[in-house]
Amino acid sequence: MTGITAPYIEYKDVCVEYPGHVKGIRGISLQIAKGEFAFFVGKTGAGKSTLIKLLTREVEQTSGTIQLNGRDIGHLKDRDIPGLRREMGIVPQDFALLPRKRVWENVAYAMRAVGHSRKEVRRRVPEILEQVNIAHRADAFPNQLSGGEQQRVAIARALINNPPLLIADEPTGNLDPEHSWEIMELLMALNLRGTTVLVASHDMMVIHRMGKRIVTLEMGRVLSDVVSETPHD
Amino acid sequence: MIDRLSFLTGEALTALRRNYTMTFAAIITAAVSLFLIGGLGYVYMRTTEYARSLTGRFEMRVILKDGTTPAQISDTANTIRLIEGVKEVFWIPKEKAWARDKSKFPDLTEGVENPYPDAFKVTLTDVHGGELIATKIHSLPAVASGDEGVQYLKDVQRFVDDGLHTLRWVGGAVGGLLFVAAGLLIYNAIRLTVLARRLEIRVMQLVGASRFTIRVPFLIEGIVQGALGGLVAGGLLLLANNAFAAFLVSRSAFASLPPFPFWQLTSILCACGALYGFLCSNLAVHTPLKFR
Repeated sequence: MTGITAPYIEYKDVCVEYPGHVKGIRGISLQIAKGEFAFFVGKTGAGKSTLIKLLTREVEQTSGTIQLNGRDIGHLKDRDIPGLRREMGIVPQDFALLPRKRVWENVAYAMRAVGHSRKEVRRRVPEILEQVNIAHRADAFPNQLSGGEQQRVAIARALINNPPLLIADEPTGNLDPEHSWEIMELLMALNLRGTTVLVASHDMMVIHRMGKRIVTLEMGRVLSDVVSETPHD
Repeated sequence: MIDRLSFLTGEALTALRRNYTMTFAAIITAAVSLFLIGGLGYVYMRTTEYARSLTGRFEMRVILKDGTTPAQISDTANTIRLIEGVKEVFWIPKEKAWARDKSKFPDLTEGVENPYPDAFKVTLTDVHGGELIATKIHSLPAVASGDEGVQYLKDVQRFVDDGLHTLRWVGGAVGGLLFVAAGLLIYNAIRLTVLARRLEIRVMQLVGASRFTIRVPFLIEGIVQGALGGLVAGGLLLLANNAFAAFLVSRSAFASLPPFPFWQLTSILCACGALYGFLCSNLAVHTPLKFR
């Protein structure tokens, strides 16, 4: 990839082997610049989720190195993982919303869990909900929301630490095209504010429409690394 | 700090409410085991105290052979005093014993020759080892041979000693087994809570909550379960004590039990339960809360 001078994220010859000699990643080297928006695409089992989980340290590489902002995160001790995760926002594929808590409580709970005071929570939650355009549904329970709205809440929760990096695993996997596009626009807006955004997805129609960098994976290897020719309209 | 503590405590209370059946089972089992261990411990302590208080009454009468000289009497008394477990030795001259009887029962003793031998009254410091002391005294040359040489309440001593021994074993075995069962139940309750709250745990792990924040509510849960078990055990002991006291009064108007140290005993049981709950819950969350 040209134009990358100081990589924010760098994978160097990374291999991941799951128990039973199942290879998840086979020697991937990749660089991502600060403020970039990149998609990891590929079929199921191609390695896109593994690539993301290496950054969140849900998975540890078998060999190679992974650096985030110049720091080797591949061999962090367990006790250092929470600190790493506070430096990023993670949007899981299944939203992971607490069903018995309202929208604002879902965000507030996450803030309380990372040590924010009640006062801070009261001040910040409305701001965050506003940022992802879900403030009008603040008192609803997750089961009263559409898939797109639920995804917005998951993104809102990922923003509680003001992260410079946002990672989303299949954020449009459960959404119809219209809601998928809304979520992508939201991610784009966050990217325009300077947040580095990494998205694992197989929703090619939406991805091509975004006009962003696309890293295609197959069988744990990088098949292609290009910028989509179709610009975002 | 208080803000943080209120969040962690709130999380623990939510878990206790949500998993109330298992919580109830864990508390009751902990209570029963602590009741048995605490109760038997209390009875053991009281029985030991009672046995000690009986020491004065646990005395031996040592009969000397006819014709024992004053020097032999003195030597024998000194030798008995050196035996471990002997508190005091009093010489009772046969003339003194007979004079006492004559003054008490003048008609019965009139014209009768003094039947008493010279003797010692020996008191013990402890009820244990009565038999051993008796054997040692019996082997002294001035002491009369046969069963009448050393006379004491052998059966009573043996009964108290055996009782204490049985209490120790029964308390240790039954209480210990129940203690292990309570531990397993607390462990299981915490594991179920971890399972029931896996989504909250996942959210906390996703947003970067510290290990401390994730673990502490479960530890508080274990501590609360153990401490509540101790509190219930204290209440059960109070009821048992009152029931026993009522039973004694029904048998004898003069019988009574010493005051029951409810708060002291309950505090100890709560502290033991809380410590045990902490250890079991710590064990239960060790593996499932790893960051993966």
